[in-house]
Amino acid sequence: MLVAISFYLLAFVAIASAFMVVASRNPVHSVMFLIVTFFSAAGLFILMGAEFLALLLVMVYVGAVAVLFLFVVMMLDVDFVELKQGFLQYLPFGFVVALILLAEMIMVGAAYFTGETKALATYSGEKSNLERFGEVLYTDYAFFFEAAGLVLLVAMIGAIVLTLRERDGVRKQDITKQVGRTRETAIEMVDIESGQGVG
Amino acid sequence: MPNLYLVIPEILLAVSASLLLGFGVSKTKNRAPIVRLIAIAVLVLYSVLSFLLGSQDGEAFKGALIIDGYARYVKFFIGMAAAAGLLLAGDYLEREKLDKYEFSVLTLYAVLGMSIMVSANNLLALYIGVEMQALALYVMAAFNRDSLRASEAGLKYFVLGALSSGLLLYGISLIYGFTGTLNFEAVATSIQSNGLSAGVVAGMVFLLCGLGFKISAAPFHMWTPDVYEGSPTPVTGFFAGAPKFAAIALIARLVMGPFGDITDQWQQVIIVLAVMSMFIGAIGALRQTNIKRLMAYSSIANMGYALVPLAAGTVSGLRGMLIFMTIYLITVIGVFACILQMRIRDGMVERISDLSGISKTNRGMAIAMTAFMLSLMGIPPLLGFFGKLFAFYPAVQSGLTWLVVLALIASVIGAFYYLRVIKTMWFDESEHEFINPVRALSWTSAISALLLIGFVMIPFVARTGQDWISIAATSLF
Amino acid sequence: MFELIQFWSNLSPLAWFGWKIAQVLAFVLVLALLVAALVLADRKIWAAAQMRRGPNVVGVFGLLQTIADALKFFFKELIVPSGSDKFLFIAAPVITLVMAFLAWAVIPVAPGWVMSDINVGVLYVLAISSLGVYGIIIGGWASNSKYPFMGALRSAAQMISYEVSIGFIILTVAALVGSLNLTEIVAAQEGGFWNWHMFYLNFSNPVHLLLFPVMFYMGILFFISALAETNRPPFDLPEAESELVAGYQVEYSSTPFLMYFFGEYVNIMLLCGMMTILFLGGWHAPIDLGFQFLPPVFWFFLKCSFLFFLFAMVKAIVPRYRYDQLMRLGWKVFLPTALVSIMIVLTFVNFFGTGAT
Repeated sequence: MLVAISFYLLAFVAIASAFMVVASRNPVHSVMFLIVTFFSAAGLFILMGAEFLALLLVMVYVGAVAVLFLFVVMMLDVDFVELKQGFLQYLPFGFVVALILLAEMIMVGAAYFTGETKALATYSGEKSNLERFGEVLYTDYAFFFEAAGLVLLVAMIGAIVLTLRERDGVRKQDITKQVGRTRETAIEMVDIESGQGVG
Repeated sequence: MPNLYLVIPEILLAVSASLLLGFGVSKTKNRAPIVRLIAIAVLVLYSVLSFLLGSQDGEAFKGALIIDGYARYVKFFIGMAAAAGLLLAGDYLEREKLDKYEFSVLTLYAVLGMSIMVSANNLLALYIGVEMQALALYVMAAFNRDSLRASEAGLKYFVLGALSSGLLLYGISLIYGFTGTLNFEAVATSIQSNGLSAGVVAGMVFLLCGLGFKISAAPFHMWTPDVYEGSPTPVTGFFAGAPKFAAIALIARLVMGPFGDITDQWQQVIIVLAVMSMFIGAIGALRQTNIKRLMAYSSIANMGYALVPLAAGTVSGLRGMLIFMTIYLITVIGVFACILQMRIRDGMVERISDLSGISKTNRGMAIAMTAFMLSLMGIPPLLGFFGKLFAFYPAVQSGLTWLVVLALIASVIGAFYYLRVIKTMWFDESEHEFINPVRALSWTSAISALLLIGFVMIPFVARTGQDWISIAATSLF
Repeated sequence: MFELIQFWSNLSPLAWFGWKIAQVLAFVLVLALLVAALVLADRKIWAAAQMRRGPNVVGVFGLLQTIADALKFFFKELIVPSGSDKFLFIAAPVITLVMAFLAWAVIPVAPGWVMSDINVGVLYVLAISSLGVYGIIIGGWASNSKYPFMGALRSAAQMISYEVSIGFIILTVAALVGSLNLTEIVAAQEGGFWNWHMFYLNFSNPVHLLLFPVMFYMGILFFISALAETNRPPFDLPEAESELVAGYQVEYSSTPFLMYFFGEYVNIMLLCGMMTILFLGGWHAPIDLGFQFLPPVFWFFLKCSFLFFLFAMVKAIVPRYRYDQLMRLGWKVFLPTALVSIMIVLTFVNFFGTGAT
């Protein structure tokens, strides 16, 4: 009962806020609704007993990815009038694409529901989520894990190659050098005769 | 872990790329050329290793990757093409002040991605491979970051590539949802035992569309001309060859493996892609003035031809595709070696009219370029003719004669613009003289031209090569 | 009879619900009182370091100063800037406050004194504290003003950067214990201060003695990262008054401002509590005498208070960092060393077992 109520509540919020992501006029609000969507999805994960996944979703997507989204959206100077100009022009094309996708979804959905249905696998065992993850992630899926790491590395190299500019003649702070200064290297004693200046 | 020896070439790539990255971060002088030389050596070693380690077939990483004759064959040529690409790039990068060690490292990672694509035996591995090579290529397209055109090329490639990744993932999720597995063989078994469902077909179509982007098959070709034009020329040369081969090899593995039993379903998709690509490639090229854009449309058309034998869905069709792609790879490397030689005192030029009259000033290059153009047209004594012969014959055998007729019509249209290049070179008045190219460029173009003229390749094609390709092709069945 | 049993079993979730609500209220009440005390302590310590007296007018020794301040904020007029995004402007401080309280749901202050003893408690705290950044970034943006926006951006970047190293530091502890459950982490440090992760002299598993420097370093790193995570000096760049007036809070007044203020101190307490749990043995006494002459929660409270004293002293002593120095410290010093440390710890755990054995 409680589980059912939670499920429908979370599912409703997830879908409603996902709709609002697209529908809302202000991109910052869109991101906010996106966060709500992520949250509800995390809640659904918890209902399935996948607590680890749920918290990971919150940590990675809400805690990091959406913050960066927000960053970009806030910094962008979006001109809505300009953005809306091409709207009518693209509408028919978008409509056709949406229609095709909708038809496909209905077809697929119908095929799914008319076929034999399988119950969702929920895990309830002795070991915690985390242990189960570790057991398959570093054995059966070790290759994917490593290869995905390499993909991220490539993305990182790309970001650095495209943005890092090494300029010559830039003064940089060298903290070890600063801290390593002694009285002898830092202070020079000068005898100045009156009226002469350091010169 | 067992079977690790099967993936020694891939491990070699991954480890050496990471080590070179570490070396590049050090402040060694001239590190870019050093890294490039080592990378070329690694790529050649990779090719040789993937060829030599070949006697055993098997699966690695619990079925994530499959190593068979087919994968070995494709990997050999991908490695060689990438090595040639790096070799050609050196001079250009140095002159344009783009010589950063990351270029070589990214090439290595791109080849690693392609290698995973070619060996993929699992939808996840497929996606990871595609993504790895694509990410490296986006960056390489925008490598000249101060140039507006290069940045635009990189951005366009990235946005459309992301779209194609979306299609790919959508397809994968549908297939996974309806078959309950990611493994290619298990997908095939599931289709056999459970029959065909709408979800699997939809998933397959999405998958093929996503990969269609990667081989720039029409109607997913729109990024190609802009990206080819905007990217640095050696990068364009690299784009035109190895990634296309890897992607089409992956398509072939998909349609022969997991979807081997539903030929009727994918055949339509492949045929539509093939016909549209051939004609859009042929007609789109007619009005181009930039040689790189011309090559972009040419590659679209050639991908169309390569899909024709695939549509046949037979062993000989697969063999035809492999032969065609191999010959295309050699031609493209040669063409871009020539384009890289189009350098006047002020810098690079890329218009077709810049080639005018080079038969008098650079006779060797003119001959080589003529050979490439004639080969792309498919004129008999040249290898390109055999490529098309092997490609179209299986289609005729399996009753797709009308498709072959369409392909021939497209070839005739395409012949026009290839001939225009030849005419410009031999009959137009010279505008300016190209400065002497570095040796690597002229040698590469000369070697590819020689290969195409066929005297060297004919025995190869006839005997060993044939056997090798046949083994490769049959290993998918 | 059967129906009656059914009635009770139906009710029991409700009763459970009521029990939990009571717990939540108790936690919130205690935390609120503690915040009042902490604000005063903060000001007193700061004043003492500068040889001033600090607040001494309201109540005996100024004890009621915080309450007076809170009342003042309650009764002031709420000003919402005209160009602001009104909903988000009000929502932002609420988010900060709620997130600060939410994380306390899994903090065990004494054996069994925890609202929800979940298996992935550490991850829960990390997840919730990573949400705290929204309160600040939204508040800065919704104010529609330059300084708050700059402050919000700084704060977001800063908190994300330091969260990464905090995550790795916590992982070293989790790897040593072999669990992400906070109660188990505390239980693993039983027996005396030499078992605490900060002073890790684990004689029962002698090879682990080699880990002492690593864990000590991790403890210090955690403390410094906690300063950055809570936007405390010397990392209070989001509200650096010499550059940004008051950073993301510039446009806030009245109750919303109070909420920010409140949330900030609850967060500070949370990180003191986390450090106590992860590195200083939680509710365990420094030396195990075999009997308890003080309740466990006393030790927890004592350790937290000591850590808060350090927080306050740092504020009084250390000058503010420059923004690039802050980022450099986070990404180029903390993150790599934390990564190396976790590799070392995992190697030890893999070859010589966890600390418990």
